[in-house]
This record gives sequence, C-alpha cells and structure tokens, in this order.
Amino acid sequence: MSRFPCPDKLLKLNQRFKIFTELAEDLSFLQEYPPRTHFSAKDNLCAVGFQARAGSRILEGYRPPFDATAIWRMRQEGAALLGKTNMDEFGFGTFCTNSGYDIPRNPFDEERACGGSSGGAAAATSLLEGHVALGVSTGGSISCPASFCGVIGLTPTYGRISRHGLIDYANSLDKIGLLVRDPLALRKWLPVISGPDPKDPTSCVQPALVTSGRRVERVAVPKEATENLSSGVESQFARSLASLQEEHGILVEEVSMPSLRFALSAYYVLATSEASTNLARYCGMRFGVRNLDISQHFNDFFAETRSANFGTEAKRRILLGTYARMVGFRDRYYMKALAVRQLVIAEYKKMFQDFDLVLTPTMPFIAPHFAEIERMRPLEAYQADFLTVPPNLAGLPHLSLPCGYSDSMPVGMQLVAPHWEERLLLDIADRWTSKFKMRFPEVSA
Amino acid sequence: MRIGLEVHVQLPTRSKLFCSCSTSAEEPNSSICPTCLGFPGSRPAINRKALEMAVQIARFLQCRIAPEIWFSRKTYFYPDLPKHFQITQYDSPVGVDGHFMVEGKSIGIWRVHVEEDPGRIKRVGRSGEEVSLIDYNRSGIPLVEIVTAPDLSSPDEARIFLTELLVELRHIIGTSAGDEQSVRADANISMGEERVEVKNVQGLRNLERALKFEANRQQRMLESGMKVVRETRRFDEERKVTLSAREKEFEEDYGYIGEPDLGVYDLTRFASSMPEIETPLRRAQRMSAHYVVDYEKARQIVLTSMALADLFEAIAKRVDPEVAMNWTLGPISNNWSQLLPRLTEQVVEDVVTVVQQVVDRQITDSEGRRRIGAIAVGECAQDVSCAVEDALLDSIISQYLDEHPQVLKDYASNPRSANSVIGHVMKVAQGKYNSQEVVEAVRKEIERRKG
Amino acid sequence: MDIETVRKVARVARLKLTPDEEKEFARDLEEVLTYFSLLDEAPRVDTHDFNPVRVADVLREDDPARDVNAEKLRDSMDTYQDMVRGPRLS
Repeated sequence: MSRFPCPDKLLKLNQRFKIFTELAEDLSFLQEYPPRTHFSAKDNLCAVGFQARAGSRILEGYRPPFDATAIWRMRQEGAALLGKTNMDEFGFGTFCTNSGYDIPRNPFDEERACGGSSGGAAAATSLLEGHVALGVSTGGSISCPASFCGVIGLTPTYGRISRHGLIDYANSLDKIGLLVRDPLALRKWLPVISGPDPKDPTSCVQPALVTSGRRVERVAVPKEATENLSSGVESQFARSLASLQEEHGILVEEVSMPSLRFALSAYYVLATSEASTNLARYCGMRFGVRNLDISQHFNDFFAETRSANFGTEAKRRILLGTYARMVGFRDRYYMKALAVRQLVIAEYKKMFQDFDLVLTPTMPFIAPHFAEIERMRPLEAYQADFLTVPPNLAGLPHLSLPCGYSDSMPVGMQLVAPHWEERLLLDIADRWTSKFKMRFPEVSA
Repeated sequence: MRIGLEVHVQLPTRSKLFCSCSTSAEEPNSSICPTCLGFPGSRPAINRKALEMAVQIARFLQCRIAPEIWFSRKTYFYPDLPKHFQITQYDSPVGVDGHFMVEGKSIGIWRVHVEEDPGRIKRVGRSGEEVSLIDYNRSGIPLVEIVTAPDLSSPDEARIFLTELLVELRHIIGTSAGDEQSVRADANISMGEERVEVKNVQGLRNLERALKFEANRQQRMLESGMKVVRETRRFDEERKVTLSAREKEFEEDYGYIGEPDLGVYDLTRFASSMPEIETPLRRAQRMSAHYVVDYEKARQIVLTSMALADLFEAIAKRVDPEVAMNWTLGPISNNWSQLLPRLTEQVVEDVVTVVQQVVDRQITDSEGRRRIGAIAVGECAQDVSCAVEDALLDSIISQYLDEHPQVLKDYASNPRSANSVIGHVMKVAQGKYNSQEVVEAVRKEIERRKG
Repeated sequence: MDIETVRKVARVARLKLTPDEEKEFARDLEEVLTYFSLLDEAPRVDTHDFNPVRVADVLREDDPARDVNAEKLRDSMDTYQDMVRGPRLS
C-alpha cells in the first residue's frame, strides 16, 4: 500500500484484516500536503475522541477524559492518530485471539494469527508504509507480534515511557513501545515519547535518553534459548548468527544463563497478581459497562457485571493472580516471584559485563494457524513466551528484528540491552536493516 | 477492661494524597479527577507534605522511624472504594513501637502509617434495603492511622487519651479544632476473654458514647452469665448504640501486594531535614519542671496559645516564676485577644518591663494592670499622667498623715485607724483608685513612717 | 486444584462461575500452578523491590491543580443530585 493510503482503501483493508477496533472519524488528513506521520495506538492507551476498551467488553463505551502522555506527545510533534488497534483483552494473550472484539489476521497469511497482545499494531505496521504503531509489552506483547508480522518492534526500558493513560495490565511490567518498518522512525519517535512525566512517578527516575555513542561489538546467545525451537526458526536464527559475524563483524558467543528457566513462572505470578488487583475496579459503576440494577446487593452487582463481561482468559488470570496473593500462598508465589525477578536481573547484569547485547530468537515458531491455537492448553500458550518473558521481567530494553522467513512467514530475533541503553538497539537496527532485505505482504486492498 | 484504638486522622494538606485535587470542596463530587475516581489509565503520585506530616507525628509519638518505606494494595470490594483496592502501608509503617503519656500512664503506640481515605457513602432508602450514594470528594484524602496497644482501661481514659493526643497533633500538623469531621476511630474493647471491634466511629463524642455503650453491654452480658461473642460491630449515631455489623456474606482476602507505581521512600534522609516540633502539652511539662510551677496552670497557658507560653517564659526569666504565672493567667490573659495580634519583640519587652516595675514597687499593681491594658490596645504605656497619678496618691496620703498625726500614734495599738486615711483618699480621688491599692499604699506609707 | 478452592477464589474475586467453568478452571489452574512450583527451586531472597529498576523518592508538591473538568467527570457517571449512584448495601 502506498505511503499515504486513501480512506476507502484503508477501510477495505481493515475489513479484511481487522487491524483497527476504531478508526478516526475524519480520515481526510491522509490526503493533506505536506503529509503528517500517521500513527496508531493500541486500544489500552487513552485518547480523547476515541473509546478505550483494551479489547474488553467491560469497557464498552468508555471515552477517556484525558490523553495518554505518549499519545499527547506524538500529537504535539505533529503525528496524526489514525485509530486504535485490536488487542488481546487487557493484554492477556500471546496470539491476539482473546479479544472481546475483532481478531486481527496476519497480513502474510489470513489463516494465521498476528501474535499478541499488540496484534493490530503489528498488522498496521506491516500493511501501511510509513506507519508508526504504539504498542504495549508486558511479557513480550510488542516483540511477539513484530516477529510474527515481520516488522521491527522496540520495547524500551521499563520507566522510559510514561504510563499515564495506559490501562494497566501489570504496573511493574507494562512498557509502551514502537512498531515500525524503518529504524529511522525509531530514532525520530523514541525521543518524542520518552522522558519524565510527573503523572507517572516510575518515569521520573530515568537518565536522559542517549541515541548514539556506543556500538554493538559482542553479543551473547544463551544456550537455554536455543532449545525447543521449530526447525524453521532454528535454521533462520543460525543463518542470522552467521550474518552478524560475517557481514557485520560482531562477535557472537554461546553462554549459559541458568536462572532464565525461572523467569516464566515468576513473570506469570507477578503479572497475574498485579492484574487481578488492576481489574478489581471493573464492576459496572462509573465507567464502561454500567449495571443499572442497583437494587442488587453490591457483591452480586459486582459479580454479575464482571462475569458477564470478562472473557475466559481474563477470568483465568484473575483467578490465578488472586490465588497467588492469598493468605497462605502469598509467600510461596508472590514473594518468591519478586525474589526471582531480582535474580534474573542480576544474571543479565553479569552478562553485560562482558557483552553488549544478549541475543535469542523472538518466538519459538512462526505465526500459528488459528486452528492450532484453539487446540492449545493455557499452559502451552503461556510457555510460548519463554523467550520474550526474561527481558520483560527484568525491565530491560529489547528489540525484535525480522531475521528470516520460513514457510513464507516471518521469523524474528530478539536483542536485549542493559537498562537505559536503547542506543545499542538503535545501532544494531540500523546496521542489520542496511543488509537484511525485509519483505512486506503483497496486498491489494 | 482493655481498650485499643485505631485512630484515623485526616491530614490538612491542600491537595489529596495521590492526586492534585483540592482537599477543600463544598459541593458533592466537585473535587474529583481520574486518579481519585480510579478511572482506567490513572495512577498515583504522592504528596510530599502528607509524608512530612506523617513522619512528624511518628517522631512525636517516640516511634522508631523506618529507614525505607513503600506502599501496598489492600484489595476489597465496597462501593466507596474506587479502585477496589486501597493504597496503604501493610508491612512498612512510617513508625513503630512508640508511646504517649496520659496522666502519667504510658499508652503504647504500635504503629503509625499513611493511607488514602475512601469516598463517603450516604445510605438511602428503607432499612435493610438501603442503596448507596457516594461523594468522592473524600476519596484520596490523606490519612494517618495510629494504632495503640490495648493499654486503655476505661472509656474515660480513652476519651482523655484521644483529646490530649489531638491537642498535640493539631499543633504538629496545623489542623483547626474540627475533630468531629477529621477523626475516625476503630475501637477494640474487651472486658473478659473475647474482643469486640467497633468500627468506623466518627469524632470524639461518638467514640465516647460508643465505648460507654459497649462497655455496658459487655458488662451486662457477663453479669447475666452470657458469653461475649467476638465480632465486629458498628456505632449507630442516631440511636447511640452499637450494632452487630452484618456477617460478611463474601470473604475478603486482602491479598496484599506492593504498589509499583510509587516505588520506595528513604525516610532517614527525609526525617533528618525536618526540625523537631515542641507540642503544647510537652511544653507545659517542660515549663512546669523547669520553672517549678503548677502543671495545670502551665497547661492552661499552652492551651490558650503557644505565644502566651512564649510570653510567660520571657517574664519568668526576669521575675519570680510564680509572679510571672499570676500575671500571665491574670491581666495578660484577660487582654489576650487584643494583645496577640500586636505581639512584636518590643511589645513583649514592654510587658515584661511592666511586670518588673510592679515587682520592684516602682508602680502599683493597679497601675501595672492599667498599663498592660494600654499596651493591648496600642496606647503608650508610659503615660505621664499615670505616673503623676501614682505620685498623686502618695501625696494625698502623705498630706493627710501630716495633718492627722494621731493616726500614726493610734496605729500601733489599733491598725484600724488607717481606715480614716483610706476613706479620705477614696473620697478625694473619686474612684480613680481601687480600694485594694489604696489600702496597700496607705499601709506602706504608715510602715515607712513608723520604721 | 479442588472445586472448593476455585469457588473460594472466585468469591474473593467477585466472579460468578458456572459449574462447567468451575471444573475447567480447576483443571487449568492445577496445570499452571504445578508449573509454578518450579519457583520452589529458586533461592529465597527478601526483597521489597516491586519494580525492575529502582524507583525511589519521587514526590509531588502539595499544590492543588485541576486538569480534567470535574463537572464533565460527574456527568459521565450515573448520579442523583450530584452523588454517584451505587448498589444496595445490606
């Protein structure tokens, strides 16, 4: 599709791929000259003039009275908000199949998933040239869809981007980031959305963003990350390692990071614990779906609205998270998970003493078919995150780069940098894409 | 009987604990924002002043101040709690293991911590079917929670404890005396084996009523051989009785987790940058000990005003403290409302000088009082006409004694001969002096002549 | 995980589950929690770090301010005489 799609084509595209849950009412800006960068925001980001439903029925009709800081900053810089993209409910999903609204289709193959939970964002970026998508990652929700849809996904350090106006999944894990086709867009827009915001205290401890001054020279590949991969991913990843060494002169070394094996459980315990408290507010009062039957006792009033409007995965995670914090279990799960996070961070810090980046494939397989996903047990779906979860748990900035194609589907590799060192990721993105030929879906809308 | 209290005091900050909404609002739901309404996408940012006040309170109560604190989410479902979790301090209170003296007895303070207030619920409708109307102005107001050991042994003692505590706290955090609105307490009261909790009692008067009612109720039960059941009760303000709070149909498991949006706070550095504040009752104790004066009188002074205490101490440094006390509680207090706004260093000095002059007998008691009054209304105390009047009194007395030498002769055997002098002065001066000081002056002159 | 526990957790979380849901979630939770027991092998460290980077001493000055119009907020909720309507209490 051309750089500036005309509104008609865009609507047709959306009907086919279910990218946007809501498009801007007035799309005429697409044909303005000089053109503005068009961007999208995942539907858990609040924007005045749009609903914010976070993929959930329980927020049907919610029109936020304020802008998320990241969106406000993009708009201040002249970018135009095209629409809100489809996502897994509240971010709960690896494939973007848990939405209370539409399920986006992979632009490379409509029978396959986009990846989650920022599925719509990745689809938009893949299909629309020059598009910048704001995504959100908790356990890998920018990397995974970027990998499945063949685009670049940058997840900055936790605390780099203000979360004011982000509908929370897990406050110690959520990070806003960017999905783009061209690394230049990262360099342009990352500084725009970064920086302290008094409305989000966790964004106020960051050192200033630096975008140059260091070069990637040595990269570590943990052997724990090269097991349980599909043969397609395995071979594409191996080719990429060779390319990094031969074409880019980067030293690649195999290492061992034993505490990575705890990361997935720690992540799901912390994420669901926090999520179960964040979702307590959805109860039929004040915003979103309203329960008008106030003659019900408040416990029934709340339980009824929640049960009728939360999807299955949301309920599952609420139950898990509630359990992990309960008296008698809290020590074993919640408190232990906190300790494991520190362990994983320490393991990475040790690696970064000798290496600039840690490198793994992004996902263990290419985008699965919808039919396959339906057959998966919940635990299977969670375990698909085993590569993206560790840097997310540790709050480290990471980048998913398209690095190959298998069965005509994109394969991604994930690079992890130390806290606050996004510049290393910008460096590798520039250098990699100067040689790697990215493919985009052939689509006539 | 053992009574323990969990006292919630609203902090008089200008903005709320986690958002910038004003804490003073008139109309319902007029001081609200996405944060204190718990809207999706909102998040907390803590008020520095609230934390300062909490540290001051904990320090005053002799608590051990935590070096580092954080906040926790206490999750439960009730219509007045917007996020369905309250941000509070579960395992990280600002201070622990303190105490507060009440009439010579030490009441243990287990902990002091900070938390946010929920909204205010109004129950409307028929009893048993009430629905809720909620005002979120109160949602997010900063609270300090003070938890005592069950060291209070009667409702009266609890009332005195809370009254004294609030006097001190008011000085530290600067509230005006609106305790009925800004203080709530949960009380744990047990006469025998089991503990009953009376929750959410608003204001001191209601607390006293609730405790007295509950103590009575338990007493009567025990006397008639019944067992007191361990339970939670609430106080009905209108009927002035405690009632069993309905059994919770659903369970609550607060499921505490840390609040990641706020992070941690280094209190050691924070506390060291704040000066210690001397509170009224502490000051009264110090003044009583240091100047060897009656504690009750010292207390009366500080409760009137700390500035009055300053003035007392200034005077007590120059004259006998008892005298200083009499003047402070007497003429100075009588003129206090006018004197207070005028209290400059010079005015203080003038007042001290007046008292000193009376003590040195340079002026009469009466003149001293008149001068204090003059200073209070801004007149010059050193009024020449008054000095003249003093001299005038003396000269009237002298003249009469000169003309009536018999008075002096008779005085030795009959002191009442002085009455004629007194009567004469009163007639001639036409009410310019009060009888007390005339008697004084006459006696003084007679003694002087005889001696 | 037994059905009773699922019911209890659902009550605490204010979720009304059908009997089928109860069975299904019991099975799901059992599988996931078994996997979580991997955590038992990790060393125990006492920490009160709730964030992956240290967030410390971020304070806001006590200055009242208003970004969003209170009246608009009030209008977006279900109110009666400016008070927000809520469900039955007893």
